[in-house]
Amino acid sequence: MIALKNIRIGYSDGLLHAENIELKSGTVYILVGKNGAGKSTFLKTLSKQIPVLSGEIDINGTSIGNITARELPKEMSYVPVHFPHMDYVRSREFISAGRAPYTNALGRLNEIDENEIQSAISTLGVEHLSDRFTSELSDGERQLVAIAKAVAQKTSIILLDEPTAFLDYSNKKKVLGILKQTAEQLDKCIILSAHDIDLCLDFASYFLIVDAETKELKLLQDPSKEEIIKVAFD
Amino acid sequence: MLLIFLLLLPVAGVVHFMSGHLDIGFGDLVNSLFNFDETNTQQLIAREVRIPRMFTALIAGAGLSVAGLLMQTLFNNPLAGPYVLGINSGASLFVAFSIMTGIPFLSSDLGIITNALIGALIFGLIISLFSELVRSQISLLLIGIMLGSFTSAIVSLLEVSSDASELKVFTLWALGSLSRIEFDQIPLISVVFILGIVGSLFLIKPLNLLVLGQNQARLLGLNYKRTRFVIIAITAILTGLITAFCGPIAFVGLAVPNLVRILLKSQHHGLLIVSSAFIGGIFVLLCDALIQSLENYMVIPINVLTSIIGAPIVVLLILRKLR
Repeated sequence: MIALKNIRIGYSDGLLHAENIELKSGTVYILVGKNGAGKSTFLKTLSKQIPVLSGEIDINGTSIGNITARELPKEMSYVPVHFPHMDYVRSREFISAGRAPYTNALGRLNEIDENEIQSAISTLGVEHLSDRFTSELSDGERQLVAIAKAVAQKTSIILLDEPTAFLDYSNKKKVLGILKQTAEQLDKCIILSAHDIDLCLDFASYFLIVDAETKELKLLQDPSKEEIIKVAFD
Repeated sequence: MLLIFLLLLPVAGVVHFMSGHLDIGFGDLVNSLFNFDETNTQQLIAREVRIPRMFTALIAGAGLSVAGLLMQTLFNNPLAGPYVLGINSGASLFVAFSIMTGIPFLSSDLGIITNALIGALIFGLIISLFSELVRSQISLLLIGIMLGSFTSAIVSLLEVSSDASELKVFTLWALGSLSRIEFDQIPLISVVFILGIVGSLFLIKPLNLLVLGQNQARLLGLNYKRTRFVIIAITAILTGLITAFCGPIAFVGLAVPNLVRILLKSQHHGLLIVSSAFIGGIFVLLCDALIQSLENYMVIPINVLTSIIGAPIVVLLILRKLR
């Protein structure tokens, strides 16, 4: 669970702010806002890639400032907008990297790790991709593999920066469906930024919207499309 | 594949041992090690010339290849290497200082090694500082090349102001040679070399994570700054040691790890480190065997031969990447 307590985030001058918001497990949150409104910055702040300017963020009851860089990957996984370009890395090896926070200094995978990897592969239905090089996959397949890595990381929170950006319609639907299912079945708090409002309305009830006028991050439950557009873009 | 490398290494060793212009049998090699007879010329040559040279070729090839692999993974750039990024230049500059200042301690073996290590480490830290400031891979390579140009200018200045004997020592060093190590120095050099290789084996997990990119690696719990320092330090140990004894040797560190990745089609660094060490050792052993067998016709410095073979390989790699 994530608790935002009167935060201001961004770089030196502050991009957006939020009052008290609680984000709970078992739920998908769609982050919507104009280009440059601070969606990626918000996700980077949550994953401690950039510091909070003021206020506090609690992750599962602990202030983010007190969670070490070693412990954070056990609480939260982050899927960036671009899949890394790598030669000669098979999908299964990439997904295995999700176990890095749990393995010893030599990185050896034990039975638990192997089981988690296998279970992430089955959850995402990417068995047929696991022996292929990631450089040979399509954008849709890469996104599934990236999510599988986040699932293998076994964190209660998953953040995804525009996971549907480079996908065709059917793959967008597939990825959103899998994320919804993952949140509900594995009791995870999933936050993803997206521009496909129509599609997202079919998959999620909760929207985190950056108000275009006040720069305030607002949590709306079951908003209409018009409402989202009015707050985020007008 | 690893087994093939394992088998090829002794073959390359034997080819190297047999390639001098004086005929020395395998029996002399064994005797020179375990049953040494000082009065036997064959054994003497085996012990004082052939074995140290074979050993040098092996550690130079293996060490530079592993150092190149570490740099390529750290900077996420297949064209990185101790030579391109100016780490060799750092060692060269400090060795030039130590030879041409005329201070006896500095121009002793220990002085040269210490200075080469310090030079390599300082330039490694400089390049990693620049890596924080520039985002593009090409910019970092250009900075490495500029560091190289800058140091060669300083070295030229030193050359102009040094006397003839110092100049000769430095010029010979800079041509690169595998015949400078003596039999008695082998244990000390082995210890430093093994330290570097074993150290790099402890980096397998961080290196595997760095393949995903610096940011992803951090998000998976990697302490990037500490890892970077350890990688630079190990690279400096390996590069500095080899540069101190053999002079600068180009392209081995750049070409070998790339060849290994293409051959193995893997990014698992346990496999890559061991294979790079083997292939690098085999490559320099065979290069030097060729040099020795041509010795009657012409003298080719090792740095010249590795550049003649290595430069086209690197061009092919670039073409392959751009396609």
